[in-house]
Amino acid sequence: MSAGWFARRVLLIGYTLLVVSLVVFAVTEILPADAAVVILGQNATPAALAAVRARLGLNDPAWLQYWHWLWPALHGNFGISMRTDQPVGPEMFAALGRSLLLAAGAIFLMLVVAIPLGLAAALGRGRSIDLLAGLISYLGVSLPEFVTATLLLMIFADRLGWLPATGYVPLTQNPLAGLSHLALPALTVALVLIAHVSRMLRSEMIDVLASEYVRAARLKGLPWRIVIFRHALRNALLPVITVVALDVGYVLGGIIVVEEIFAIPGIGRALIVAIEARDLPAIQAAAVIMAATYAGVNFLADIAYALLDKRIRYE
Amino acid sequence: MSPVLSIENYRLEYRSSGTAFRALDDVSLTIGPGEVLGLVGESGSGKSSLAAAIMRLLPPNSREGGGTIRFQGEDLRAMGPRQLRSVRGRRIAMVFQDPSSALNPTLTLGRQVSEVLETHRGLTPPEARAEALAMLRHVEIKDPEALFARYPHEASGGEKQRVVIAAAFACHPELVLLDEPTTALDVLTGARILELVRRLRAQIGMAGLYISHDLALVSRVADRIAVIRGGRIVEEQPAATIFRNPRHPYTRLLAEAAPRPDRRLTTDEAGAEPLLGLDSLSVRYDRRGVFRRRAATGAENVSFTIREREVLGVIGESGSGKSSLARALAGLVRFEGTIRFTGRSVKGPGAMDRAYRRAVQIVFQSPDSSLNPRQRVREILARPLKMFGGNVAEIPRLLDEVRLAPNYAARYPHELSGGEKQRVAIARAFAARPRLVICDEITAALDVSMQASVIELLLALRAAHDTAYLFITHDLNLIAEVAHRVAVMYRGRLVDLLPVAQLREGDVHPYTGALIAASPLPVTA
Repeated sequence: MSAGWFARRVLLIGYTLLVVSLVVFAVTEILPADAAVVILGQNATPAALAAVRARLGLNDPAWLQYWHWLWPALHGNFGISMRTDQPVGPEMFAALGRSLLLAAGAIFLMLVVAIPLGLAAALGRGRSIDLLAGLISYLGVSLPEFVTATLLLMIFADRLGWLPATGYVPLTQNPLAGLSHLALPALTVALVLIAHVSRMLRSEMIDVLASEYVRAARLKGLPWRIVIFRHALRNALLPVITVVALDVGYVLGGIIVVEEIFAIPGIGRALIVAIEARDLPAIQAAAVIMAATYAGVNFLADIAYALLDKRIRYE
Repeated sequence: MSPVLSIENYRLEYRSSGTAFRALDDVSLTIGPGEVLGLVGESGSGKSSLAAAIMRLLPPNSREGGGTIRFQGEDLRAMGPRQLRSVRGRRIAMVFQDPSSALNPTLTLGRQVSEVLETHRGLTPPEARAEALAMLRHVEIKDPEALFARYPHEASGGEKQRVVIAAAFACHPELVLLDEPTTALDVLTGARILELVRRLRAQIGMAGLYISHDLALVSRVADRIAVIRGGRIVEEQPAATIFRNPRHPYTRLLAEAAPRPDRRLTTDEAGAEPLLGLDSLSVRYDRRGVFRRRAATGAENVSFTIREREVLGVIGESGSGKSSLARALAGLVRFEGTIRFTGRSVKGPGAMDRAYRRAVQIVFQSPDSSLNPRQRVREILARPLKMFGGNVAEIPRLLDEVRLAPNYAARYPHELSGGEKQRVAIARAFAARPRLVICDEITAALDVSMQASVIELLLALRAAHDTAYLFITHDLNLIAEVAHRVAVMYRGRLVDLLPVAQLREGDVHPYTGALIAASPLPVTA
């Protein structure tokens, strides 16, 4: 990984986000809502509306409005919420933090299930364990989140009563309660992703097990677990990283539904609330922050890939 | 003395979708203590299956018939997984054909030696590291500390094969299986690896099974040679006498087919008129990036002239620029400099007119990738015929010239053997009635017996059509048999250009000298 590669990637991400911000701004501009009407209500006098328009700069040309929005946004200041009259930025970043916690929990749960599942399927290829693993994966990926969420709620919250149904408790306040509130939503998101990773790992693992270097490792008389874990799994996991990075993008989208079902105040829910309230600054902030997170995660995945696969050198 | 390895009446089959293929048929072999047995056979002869059977790592679709495989008197076939693990890597070790695929790309080279020591000799990681470093020094790695921490892609082919050998010899095995350990390497590197194997054998005194397709090479490293064909051992005799006195017809064929510098296959002289000349031809490959451009050189300032009816051999290791040269002449890459052809100057691929492209044809190393798998032989041959003013009615004649029956016109490439495919590629080149045919390692992927028949065919075609050849190969003995002159390429430059007869007279570039020294001569004395 050279400094040049790094600089180029950062530039590219900056460019991507610039395009995203343009699109977001343009789309929210053409929404059938007049910000002044939203603020003052349907019965406001024309004079009052004109005054608000002047104050918000709504009479300026579009590019100037864009610039007036973009420049503070680059500093984390996305304006004042039309709904709460509070600054949008801090609220959104706090929501993002909660969402990332949920996403991390989901990815973690997914890996904990998917890696052993993929491994078992590859090692027991064509046997019942392989079929079972396939069944679990495909069931997870084919059921929509609102169905799995409902099923999980019925079993774990309603029938067994092991876990709380909805709500959010900060980990700093009560770690145990915080985790138990995250468990079901994280599991819901994880179930969808298990198929990607376990199927990918299965096919990679089957290729690697047939490779000459795994044969060589076996002919060195190495114990089975060293052949599998040190020689085979390591190489089979590399392409999986890319899939996980793509999945993070999916999680950021899929989380909107899950946060809504489980009443978690994350960025997805913040986006829905903002859209319902036609809170333009909040919509813009949420969309841009989500895009930035996605780009950032993929960047991290590239770096992780290079660190793990010694053959890759970004130049 | 009781043998280290004894195989008796061993049979092996592969089954796929109902049909059985007999891979090994009634094979019996013994290897005594300290003895190296050479196992020589062509592709599909069953020699690799035998190695897999000894190591007890057979593919799932194999079925073993009768017979025993005994190692130091113990029945390998009766051993369970645990017992096998204590034999593999410790008492029987293996050296593989291609070190690039036999080494794990994500583990350091040192780790791949030290793990064997940890497993079999119970050493702690620091002890294993020290021992592995000693072993790397032993296989003549210059800076073992530095190599230990490197990954396979950071090492040369020779270094990698030394690491594989270090791992194989780390536990002082009683038997080492060497499966074509020099085939994937350059001639010079291969010769050095062979020298290393010989030295280790003298020091450790292990027994060995040396598997190869190359009778001449094996006759120089083995004590005894077994020749295998179609899963059967057809002949076994001491290495010293097998070339002089091959008994089985197949052994005779192999001995006859092996290129030998003391034999000439081309008997006439080249013409006097120059056919095609190069004036300081260079090939550079640009790698374009956003921020910078880097140029990798394929060939640098190469000048020579090919005469009418001449066979000009080009030799050099991989990356020496010989294929870049071939591609430039065929108009497949951009080049700097000039090609002189029939009194005209060609300054680039764009300046090559139809007459040039017709006169200069190329045959590639691998017919699998140079023949379109979706075209029948008829279509493959019709294209150059139509382009260069021929007639589709000539196809049977073309096929006949490369000794294929007329009904081959209706076949697809996958229905042909490797040798037959290469004949189709040759026919395609000759469809244009060329004056010069560039043969870019065209026999490298073929077995020796197949190689001999393709060479014979090329020389017959030359006699019939007065064609000149630019014959690219890494086999100096082959060049000595067929070429009039030899051009030696080294790191993109032409370092020697001399008549073949002068090769052994000593006045050559040091690299050429090393190549001559590394080319194995069959043991005939």
